[in-house]
Amino acid sequence: MQHIPLSIAKYIRSLWMSELILTFFHVNKQGILVEWGGHPRHYGLPTPITGQSASEQISFLEGAIPAEHTQILEFVGVGNEKVAHVHLIPFENGTWILLFDASAEHDRQQQIQQQYNELSVQSYRQTQLLQGLETARQQLEIEKIKLEQSAQTKSRFIASLSHELRAPLTSIVGYTHLLDEAEKAEEQESSYLNSVKQNAGYLLNLIDNVLEQTRSETQQVTIHPINCKIKNTLEDLKSLFFPMAKEKQLDFKLESAAEIPEQLLLDELRLRQVLINLMSNALKFTEHGFVSLSLSWQANRLSFQVEDTGPGISKEGQAKIFDAFHREKSTQHVQGVGLGLAISRQLIELMDGELRLESELGKGSLFSADIYAPAGQNTSQILSSSPTTLLDSADNSRYTILLAEDNLGIRTLLKLYLDEGGYQVLLAENGEQAVQIALQHQPHAILMDLQMPILDGFAATYELRQQGFTAPIIALSASALSQDRQEALQAGCSLYLMKPLDAEYLWLNLHNILNPSAD
Amino acid sequence: MIQKKICMIGDFSVGKTCTVARFVRQTFSDKYLTTVGVKIDTKILQWPNDAEVKLILWDIAGNDKLTTASTSYLRGAAGYLLVVDGTRLPTWESAKRLHTEVTRQIGDKPFLVLLNKADLKEQWEIKQADVDPQLKQGWKMLKTSAKTGENVEKAFEVLGRMLIG
Ligand SMILES: Nc1nc2c(ncn2[C@@H]2O[C@H](COP(=O)(O)OP(=O)(O)OP(=O)(O)O)[C@@H](O)[C@H]2O)c(=O)[nH]1
Ligand SMILES: [Mg+2]
Repeated sequence: MQHIPLSIAKYIRSLWMSELILTFFHVNKQGILVEWGGHPRHYGLPTPITGQSASEQISFLEGAIPAEHTQILEFVGVGNEKVAHVHLIPFENGTWILLFDASAEHDRQQQIQQQYNELSVQSYRQTQLLQGLETARQQLEIEKIKLEQSAQTKSRFIASLSHELRAPLTSIVGYTHLLDEAEKAEEQESSYLNSVKQNAGYLLNLIDNVLEQTRSETQQVTIHPINCKIKNTLEDLKSLFFPMAKEKQLDFKLESAAEIPEQLLLDELRLRQVLINLMSNALKFTEHGFVSLSLSWQANRLSFQVEDTGPGISKEGQAKIFDAFHREKSTQHVQGVGLGLAISRQLIELMDGELRLESELGKGSLFSADIYAPAGQNTSQILSSSPTTLLDSADNSRYTILLAEDNLGIRTLLKLYLDEGGYQVLLAENGEQAVQIALQHQPHAILMDLQMPILDGFAATYELRQQGFTAPIIALSASALSQDRQEALQAGCSLYLMKPLDAEYLWLNLHNILNPSAD
Repeated sequence: MIQKKICMIGDFSVGKTCTVARFVRQTFSDKYLTTVGVKIDTKILQWPNDAEVKLILWDIAGNDKLTTASTSYLRGAAGYLLVVDGTRLPTWESAKRLHTEVTRQIGDKPFLVLLNKADLKEQWEIKQADVDPQLKQGWKMLKTSAKTGENVEKAFEVLGRMLIG
């Protein structure tokens, strides 16, 4: 400081000192305050009195003096006053205590520390929250799987229960039917028989209701093919949609090819459901041009096409459109699509088909499928006339049918049906026998019960196909589960029929499968 | 008058400052203002036999371990309160670690664990099983709430008695 005048240097020094606001205490080895200076009140301390205990006046000295070596206590605050760095310096058995103002530094550090701590607490809470959510999600997932499993077990249970109940009932119904037809029964007996028949029929209905109930609970739908006149269906659809098409001034076309047999064996109700769904979508979305439905038939399969000149569906949309609840963006202003298409596709699959979609944005859409629908017979004719007059039983005697069924009642009943139909019959009581007899006698077709001892119907069918057996195998099952149907077809069955079977239905299917070219 | 230095030790934001404020001034604030360094407060405890004890409370900045700065604050402490935030399990882990480090610095001193924020029952994370091993070792614990005042007075009394005997 050579070239700074002394008075200026003194001024600077005083400023510097006041900025530091140096405060000091001198305490002797007995802990008595000997001397002090500066501004204790600045730090929230009382004005000290010399000659008295230091730590009783300056509370933070309790336990800290005498200092053994120089020690610094950083950022010491008393009450809400200024904060000091406290230096404790041992000197001649006593202690000097120096206080330096550190308030500004304290406030800076406080801000930084505050931010850091708040963030830490916040991020901890967030992590906990996320973990909680994740745990809850996992819990829900487990619950969901449990529920699904229990629903599956339930539907399996009911399906197998229904098998147990259906099997004996089937034979009761069948026998009463046959006895009735035999016309040998006395009047009294026939009235008893009638009430047995009615009650059995009633029980069968009950079981069907229970089954239907579980099916809808587990999202399973089954197909019940019946003889139907597809032309009538078309007429119905026409009268249903024509007014709407007319109102929108759309060209509305219904075409059915000439080769379609008058009677087809299919689940008319479900097919109608699908066609209504597709056509009403087409009519809803199409503003100009046409909507058309065309049908054709070939090799026991019915094909249909629903075409429109509506807005079309994007490539991405096409990939997702069959998902349950999905709805294409451009159609969001229109109510109630989505679920309908998912169900339609499922129904078509159950009819052994695949619902396909071709579409181009701005041009239109084409939904198409072909389903298994063999030619049927005129139902009224079957009911009113003896089967032998309709299907040439002499002709049928050319055919040998192997009947594999473990339940004696059903076996006898089905054998009766087959005899009546004029077929040659071979019998097997389990899958193993069935394989053996089939390979030895090469029957023209096999009626294969799926639930049999020793070797079940699935395994027997698979085994036969492995051994090169090519004739049709018709699976017989009381299970309405589509999974069983799928497995049976995969094992090599040609057809899947549900019990109870009535005679006409059995004859019809045998006739169709043995004469594939007939209509 | 007898004077006793007591340190408030624990992880940050567990409620050390609030506990002191409740005890000394009967106040509470929801706003968090973190402590830097150390804040010193005093309070005189009345003993039944008319004796008085002056408690000198060192409210030390929270951390999950001892720093050099906080180590220097411990000298001369007669005992301490080990404060835990019951709604954050990691602060209990910090408390156990701090106990070991404090013992290494100043030896075995009377202490009391405060499981603070007892009013936040639905967010509570510390289970009986978490503290059982330490209870078996003879640790003393109290559930406190600086917010409602639950057990705050009692905590200082219990520790005071441990110091004076
Ligand atoms: N609900 C509830 N909140 C509390 C309680 N005690 C403290 N808090 C809150 O917890 C936060 C932290 O409290 P402080 O007392 O500042 O914590 P600290 O232990 O001194 O924290 P540091 O100084 O950073 O070490 C503040 O927002 C308080 O309002 C309590 O008993 N109940
Ligand atoms: Mg604090």
